[in-house]
Amino acid sequence: MASNWQTVVSERQMGERRKFAASLSMDKAATWFVLVPVAFFFVYPLWKLIVLSIQTEAGLGLHYFQEVLVNARTWDAVGHTVLAAGISTVISVVVGVALAWLCAYTDIRWKGAIHAFALLPLLIPSYVMTLAWTQLAGPQGVLNRAASWVMGSPVELWNVYGLDGIIVVMGLTHYPLVYMLTLSVLYRIPKELEWAAHSAGASARAVFAKVTLPLALPGIAGGGLLAFISGLDNFGIPAFLGIPENISVLSTLIYEEVIGFGPSAFARAAVLSVLLGVIALAGTGMQWVLLRKSRVDQTSAEDKSIRRSLGKHRLTAEVLVGGFLLVTSLLPLLSMAATAFVKAYGLPFVPENLTWKHFAFVMFDHAGTKGAIGNSLMLASMTGVLCVVAGTLFAYWRIHKPSALGKAMEGAVALPYALPGMVLGLAMILTWIEPIPGWQPGIYGTVWLIMIAYVTRFLILQVKSSTVSIMQVGKEVEEAARINGGRFWTRWRRILLPLYAPGMATGLFLVFLTAFTELTISSLLWSSGSETIGVVIFSFEQAGSTTYSTALSTLIVGAILLVLAAGSLWKRYWQRRIEQ
Amino acid sequence: MKRVLLQKWTLSLFAAVSVFGLAACGSQPSSSTPSQPASQSTPAATTEPAAPKVAGTLSFYTSQPDADAASLIDAFSKKYPDVKVDLFRSGTEEVISRLQAEAQAGQVKADVLLVADAPTFVSLKKQDLLMPYTSPEAADIPAEWKDADGAYTGTKVMATVLAVNTSKVKALPDSWKVLTSPEAANKAIMPSPLYSGAAAYNVGVFTRQPDLGWDYISGLKTNQMTVIKGNGAVLKSVAGGEKDYGMVVDYLVARAKKDGSPVEIVYPKEGVPVITEPIGIMKATKNQEAAKAFVDFVLSEEGQKLASGLGYTPIRKGVAAPEGLYAQDQIKALSANIDELEASREADKKKFGEMMGGK
Repeated sequence: MASNWQTVVSERQMGERRKFAASLSMDKAATWFVLVPVAFFFVYPLWKLIVLSIQTEAGLGLHYFQEVLVNARTWDAVGHTVLAAGISTVISVVVGVALAWLCAYTDIRWKGAIHAFALLPLLIPSYVMTLAWTQLAGPQGVLNRAASWVMGSPVELWNVYGLDGIIVVMGLTHYPLVYMLTLSVLYRIPKELEWAAHSAGASARAVFAKVTLPLALPGIAGGGLLAFISGLDNFGIPAFLGIPENISVLSTLIYEEVIGFGPSAFARAAVLSVLLGVIALAGTGMQWVLLRKSRVDQTSAEDKSIRRSLGKHRLTAEVLVGGFLLVTSLLPLLSMAATAFVKAYGLPFVPENLTWKHFAFVMFDHAGTKGAIGNSLMLASMTGVLCVVAGTLFAYWRIHKPSALGKAMEGAVALPYALPGMVLGLAMILTWIEPIPGWQPGIYGTVWLIMIAYVTRFLILQVKSSTVSIMQVGKEVEEAARINGGRFWTRWRRILLPLYAPGMATGLFLVFLTAFTELTISSLLWSSGSETIGVVIFSFEQAGSTTYSTALSTLIVGAILLVLAAGSLWKRYWQRRIEQ
Repeated sequence: MKRVLLQKWTLSLFAAVSVFGLAACGSQPSSSTPSQPASQSTPAATTEPAAPKVAGTLSFYTSQPDADAASLIDAFSKKYPDVKVDLFRSGTEEVISRLQAEAQAGQVKADVLLVADAPTFVSLKKQDLLMPYTSPEAADIPAEWKDADGAYTGTKVMATVLAVNTSKVKALPDSWKVLTSPEAANKAIMPSPLYSGAAAYNVGVFTRQPDLGWDYISGLKTNQMTVIKGNGAVLKSVAGGEKDYGMVVDYLVARAKKDGSPVEIVYPKEGVPVITEPIGIMKATKNQEAAKAFVDFVLSEEGQKLASGLGYTPIRKGVAAPEGLYAQDQIKALSANIDELEASREADKKKFGEMMGGK
């Protein structure tokens, strides 16, 4: 394969070449400009957690570490956590990359619908997702009953409760992260490269393995990392599928400790959180190792044309993808909606038991819903805008000024997303109630603390998404602009932003949606007047009003799908107008 | 070029949405405006002329369901219009975690706390976070349901009962022993004590009864009892028909039954573990008068009638229980020493975990 038009550049080399262009003082200023906020917003809360873990009654010490580390349950949980997050990430990557490749390159039909349905697992609350899975593959689920019927005797084909179930459900819940990030990178790979490899005699498989895959690595590794740390912090799936089988992972063990009470409860929870953090950092490290092999290429525009015709396999692919989405996205959504329509939970789904009144109640009668939708909309938008600016600048600095410090900071930004929401919420309280002794900024107990917590938690989504696009833009573009006399702001506005836009938009989209449907942090940090959608759903669920909570969830997911559909129609209309 | 345009459009849409959101936020009434200046000039309430002025803001942390907390605050505000109640409502675990974090930072923000069970309050009392207050309204509440030093007082009676799916089970059982009998094998479900304080209380009480004890728990294990997180999930499982029997708090079952779910409440003849959702005043309170007024109101006849109207068994003698539930003097409560329960909670949970574990 000809490689003169491809250069394998390590991050370090790239940085060295770049240095001559920028003056040293600018470099330093930029570093401080990034370092100070990251230290204050990310490292400081994490530091509070670490202090909590080493603070004993007799001063500082590793007493709690010792206590936790000799406990066999801890190591059980660590093992389960690594297995669950690790293998589920493999599932997420395989499914996400396959789906992204089909959508980006082939002539498969119904791409808009596939795209929308592939996002559903991120939007549907995880307890609904797991409940749907138990209805499908629980001991009394559809799958096992069908198998028993076919065999004529009771057989258990597969039981979703247990570690294997946790892994599968997690993998199929988090693959959209890989899908989104890979999709935006695939459009940018110049098709000429694939054609060249093809005409040089490479088989379709070799083209995929030797050209597409390495070039798509930034997206795949970034998405994989996000799926991995999502698996670490996930509480709903292991709580639901693991507790009945007495399987604990770190996130459920941490919850157990936090509510365990007493002065040492937080300390032990903090120790476990430190362990979780170490695993998250190991995942981040893996990602760097992978990215070292990534190729930086010449810059090309997004290309959404069809590159491969599936021919006679098209229908097969469509049926497979359709079946997959039916089971993993549509059925959970329908089962959730079905619950919301039934008069009382547990009644059979027959016409005389159906009613609209739960939807009417949550929309019009429940006092909190409108305020909560407004609050969540405001929080998600502001978090999105803050993250897209801060996350893109961070990613830019991280890639163009590679250093050990940069890696450490990326780790610090990733950790809040890997910690269970409960732990991050507690760290936020400890940090922001009195950030500096004697100074209470009055943020605690207001909606602003939730926003700070959201930015802290979700920034990594934006950083990884922006990174994907930034890594695909070669240095020559910016240098050309510089040589032509473009000032900093002009360069960004006219050249870089348009090129970075796909990754930025992906990140904005992910941050917005995750913040919009967030539950754990706000249930710990909200206060009168700052209820979020998550808080309202959580309240319904806790009061035993499952029909209301599913009605509200259905409405929210339905509204998001409508907005997506409207967006895609508008896009089609706009493209047609341009083409005319 | 057109794609660049599209992306720009997406970005500007989000910006627009966020600006809209900001505006919406700004238009909401500020949540921290105390209303004392206005009340200072008006003459004191005519009924209790000698009492100190009850005004200002009151921060109320609770695990009651949203709607119940809201109607409690509404009723209180009608009586004391000068007090502005700020509510934080979440699960008992979340409320206590937040409170503990505040205590850790030395900045307890709550004035009044109302959460699930007495041992939780015993623990807070030990940490010296509660202010003793013996409400004059507490006289009609049995001694076993309030703290002798006045650190906390029960506000209602919530029994853990047997919930039965009526479309699956025809003959209603009358004993807890049904859960260890063959007819309930692999068909029963209970909340895990590891993830809920109230469930831990129940296990503590059950294992301290001479005719139940740890043998009972071991029998549950042998009978393939399913353990899950939270009372809500237990009720869902029984109402949905996934399981036939459930160990669950009474008011959830009564509500589901009233809505039409196929469930029935059984009060077993051995008696039932009872939690009392106690209320207490935090030592760090900055508004003692309002906090005391709030506690008095919850325990008063008016407050207890409100609780009954919301579907809970009132704790005060002489206030009728809601339809479908036993009144407080009809309930045969299984009891155990609260201090002992608090002290051995971690050990109980550990033993339960080990016993139920290892399939």
